[in-house]
Amino acid sequence: MKLVGIAGSIADQSYNRTLLKFIAKHSQGIADIEVLDINAVPMFSQDDDQTNSEVIQNLSKKISDADGVIIATPEHNHTVPAALKNVIEWLSYEIHPFDGKPVMIVGASYHTQGSSRAQLHLRQILEAPGVNAIVLPGNEFLLGDVKTAFDENGDLKDKRTVNFLQTTLQKFIKFAKVINMIDKTSDYEDEDLSASNKTDTTVEGVDMNDENWLDKAAKKVNAVEGDTYVKLDSGLLTVNQINYLLKTTPIELTYVDENNQFIYYNRFLPTDKMLAKRTPAQVGDSLEAVHPGKERVIKHVKQVLNTLRNGETDLVSMPVPGNDADHHVMHYYKAMHDEEGNYKGVNEWAIDLKPIVNEYLKATGQKLVPDPDNKIDATSGASKKPTEAVETKPEVDATSGASEH
Amino acid sequence: MNKFIAIVGSNSKKSTNREFLQYMQSHFQNQAEIELVEIKDLPLYKKSADKYVPELALDIAKRIEAADGVIIATPEYDHSIPAALSSALAWLSYGIHPFVDKPVMITGASYGSLGSSRAQAQLRQILDSPEIKARIMPSSEFLLGHSLQAFDENGDLKDKQLITQLDGLFKDFLQFVNISKQLNNANVVNKQKAAEFSWDKD
Ligand SMILES: Cc1cc2nc3c(=O)[nH]c(=O)nc-3n(C[C@H](O)[C@H](O)[C@@H](O)COP(=O)(O)O)c2cc1C
Ligand SMILES: Cc1cc2nc3c(=O)[nH]c(=O)nc-3n(C[C@H](O)[C@H](O)[C@H](O)COP(=O)(O)O)c2cc1C
Repeated sequence: MKLVGIAGSIADQSYNRTLLKFIAKHSQGIADIEVLDINAVPMFSQDDDQTNSEVIQNLSKKISDADGVIIATPEHNHTVPAALKNVIEWLSYEIHPFDGKPVMIVGASYHTQGSSRAQLHLRQILEAPGVNAIVLPGNEFLLGDVKTAFDENGDLKDKRTVNFLQTTLQKFIKFAKVINMIDKTSDYEDEDLSASNKTDTTVEGVDMNDENWLDKAAKKVNAVEGDTYVKLDSGLLTVNQINYLLKTTPIELTYVDENNQFIYYNRFLPTDKMLAKRTPAQVGDSLEAVHPGKERVIKHVKQVLNTLRNGETDLVSMPVPGNDADHHVMHYYKAMHDEEGNYKGVNEWAIDLKPIVNEYLKATGQKLVPDPDNKIDATSGASKKPTEAVETKPEVDATSGASEH
Repeated sequence: MNKFIAIVGSNSKKSTNREFLQYMQSHFQNQAEIELVEIKDLPLYKKSADKYVPELALDIAKRIEAADGVIIATPEYDHSIPAALSSALAWLSYGIHPFVDKPVMITGASYGSLGSSRAQAQLRQILDSPEIKARIMPSSEFLLGHSLQAFDENGDLKDKQLITQLDGLFKDFLQFVNISKQLNNANVVNKQKAAEFSWDKD
């Protein structure tokens, strides 16, 4: 989870900044928190629109890209400091990066009850329509007597305070996940098949659609190969060994990352023998390049990706076109996630189930007979059930579709 | 005749809050002398080791000190007062205390229908903080909603009912100012308390 922190103070020395830095330091492993600087933000004025200045654009982008925002507010004259309000005004005028953004409010003050009123005002401000942030309910974190709260390393001295802060932060992370999930139940139209929203693993500086993307991108990141060891979560293999393993796995596997870039398939068959045709030159392509034109296919691909990204389902399955008595080829699209539950792309596999069924029948001495209660359209064969959610048409193959024709 | 300072809470060149205060200035010219004060040239408030306060803020403070009362017209930005006004109030309470016991009438104009009601509620709390400690006229609220459409070509308020309400409120404010003058026995002490009050103390 990626968060940004804003200390609502432009003072040279600020306890609220110290508090944020402490939070950032102590959330390593559960969240990656970048503390933003608001010092250079000019005074808001409707007459002198500086929305496009570098400092405001930069803040806006950082907030937009983050999964959530933590604001540490001092209290000045029973309200938030003008400097903090000033930033929010810029970010609620012509641009609205806080829109739908999960926000947690904390505050440090010299007094026991300090910053409670400022926090309340801040909540009202953040919930105003032009800002429209989604503030974590309850869970006020007030750090009183701040002058004696930190040790010389900038660490909070009181264990119970640290624990409370940790609990609050964990709640916020859960809250942010849920809010972002709801928010992301976006339209499938938003799926960017051109893969232009780079992610942290995207290799920059190499044209995705270059036929030699693999070699060029590998060089760019100094990728290991051959007999170099790679530590996996439950094993130690060399790159060669990983290849041996994947190339003898009798299922066609494809990796599409969260940016909709096709970055891998386990090439164990020549292209023309594959169930879902792939070529080495396609590796690295955006999904758009893999599916040129074909409006209907594109729409369907977007729908499938979107349901997986949103978490509406973890698995979409469908039979591919042209199945007959001897073939029942299925495509499966499985959402991948990291340890924190962030969407990491699709593991797509294609497999012909018919040989498996045949083997089973042979081994157990049985044969197939038609089911008199069958409600399935016999020509398309498989159950439509799992694909209904995404309005799939069984004859369409989502991510390999166009490349086959 | 009472002399009032009217603070334009907006830093916009074309401000409906300024327009409103100008209207008050001329509409009540026989009852009080109202002088408009601008905050738009004050820098953004920042603490410093030497407690520096800009010359302009010191000048405004002096004018407030000398006045019988203050009228503030605040816009509403994001359900609160603009940073520019908040910043001005921070300067005007940074080692100086012109507002202590000063009668204040809060008004405000906004484009929306609620006419800055939420900003005014927050402003009330701000003016009540230990280093400002103004005497806010109780249960008064003047909300000018849809402020872009509120004035005619002469700069007069169009809505007769609103004018009647404003007339009544202003009369009350004049009385409030007079009563307040009689309640000034503790003023010296109060000023001292505000001056001695420090957020830095434990
Ligand atoms: C002009 C001014 C007004 C203040 N008003 C309040 C206040 O209303 N309530 C409060 O708890 N602290 C108030 N304080 C003290 C702040 O809590 C303290 O300075 C706070 O800003 C510490 O946070 P920081 O180190 O991040 O700036 C005020 C300080 C200043 C300089
Ligand atoms: C950043 C920003 C936020 C605003 N938020 C509100 C608001 O929450 N409620 C409202 O009624 N008007 C809001 N407005 C519109 C204001 O009503 C209007 O700009 C201002 O109050 C008019 O005052 P003035 O004409 O004196 O400048 C907002 C304007 C800006 C620039």
